Amino acid sequence: MAGLRSTRRELLAASAAGVALVAPATALAASTVAARPDPPDERLRRLLTVELLLRYCYQHVLISSLLTPGARPVVELQAGHEQAHVHALSVELTRLSPSGAIPVGPTSVAAADRDLVRRNVTGRLGQLQGEKDALHLLLDVERVVVGAYFVALTKLEDRRLIALAISIMSAEAQHEALIGDLLYHGDAQRSVPYGLIQGTQ
Amino acid sequence: MVNPAGPPGRSRRALLGGATAALAGAASLTVSGCGAKAPAGAHSVHKTRPPVRQADITLLAGLLDLERHTVAAYTAGIPLLGHDQAKTAKQFLDEELQHTGELISLIKAAGGDAPPRRAPFDLGHPAGATGVLELLHGLERTQIVTYLDAIPRLSPGPVRAAAATILASDAQHIAILRQAQGKPALAGPFLTGAQ
Repeated sequence: MAGLRSTRRELLAASAAGVALVAPATALAASTVAARPDPPDERLRRLLTVELLLRYCYQHVLISSLLTPGARPVVELQAGHEQAHVHALSVELTRLSPSGAIPVGPTSVAAADRDLVRRNVTGRLGQLQGEKDALHLLLDVERVVVGAYFVALTKLEDRRLIALAISIMSAEAQHEALIGDLLYHGDAQRSVPYGLIQGTQ
Repeated sequence: MVNPAGPPGRSRRALLGGATAALAGAASLTVSGCGAKAPAGAHSVHKTRPPVRQADITLLAGLLDLERHTVAAYTAGIPLLGHDQAKTAKQFLDEELQHTGELISLIKAAGGDAPPRRAPFDLGHPAGATGVLELLHGLERTQIVTYLDAIPRLSPGPVRAAAATILASDAQHIAILRQAQGKPALAGPFLTGAQ
């Protein structure tokens, strides 16, 4: 996990180094992190990839018959939102990179589970035992998605993309809150525990 | 502010280090030899106060004033709420206080000074719990609209990301407040000012 934190710190530090371009060359030479080009289409492609994983998780949970009537409408609504996010990102990616590849997302439970492992999510779609498991998995993946937007916002410069990213990141944070509300029955200290929402990386 | 129970990767120190370093980097004109104690990315620069940062400080100060207004409303309104709603509102108040602390940190990192607290805030005369929830809902919505407008105009990226962590928290608040008012918690797939 320390390695992951380092990666995130490097990303933030790299942004700082990028801004320091107004400083003299000696300051740039002293920087330990080189500013690397980060094309916005690559950034969008990463966001779309993680959104596709989240959409797949919602769809799998919905068809698994694990949800009670109390939770199902919330999960159905949020699954629809994920579809809207995927569509919006796909449109922007096509605009930025008309000939570029569009990610397709996982096509099987096994593929989704491999992606979950890669992203350090502990739950597995293939091992869900009940509603609580399913909601915890969705909560964890929502947090990964929020973290992806948080990191992307340190890099994006196009105001249109920034506006889209913050509107989706905040919507995902709302999803987190409502899943938490289902899990913890209105206990805000547990369902909305953080004042600064930056997800997990 | 560190989330004591936060999951791995939620280090506020890393975020503030990045945002602070970015602000210092943007303001840098001179090179110094100070090293290990400086935040990541800022070890080679001094802060100065070029005019380019004033716009960000003004934006952040406006957001801080809104957060303080909301803190005042939660503080005044909590005694009028029922037990469960008051418990939730206290949690939200704690988080709004974190937001003010975050904004003050960002303003200072940009070389500015946090403006003094404006007082008293006009909170109107909310009638009972229903009126308090309406007041809080209105203030959270105003915050959301203002953050949505301000964040794309902030720079550099780590500062935008830091402000987005506050917006996301306010988005959670408004969802729960809407639910408490008997409204649909979510107004749509994207956060807008229509909440």
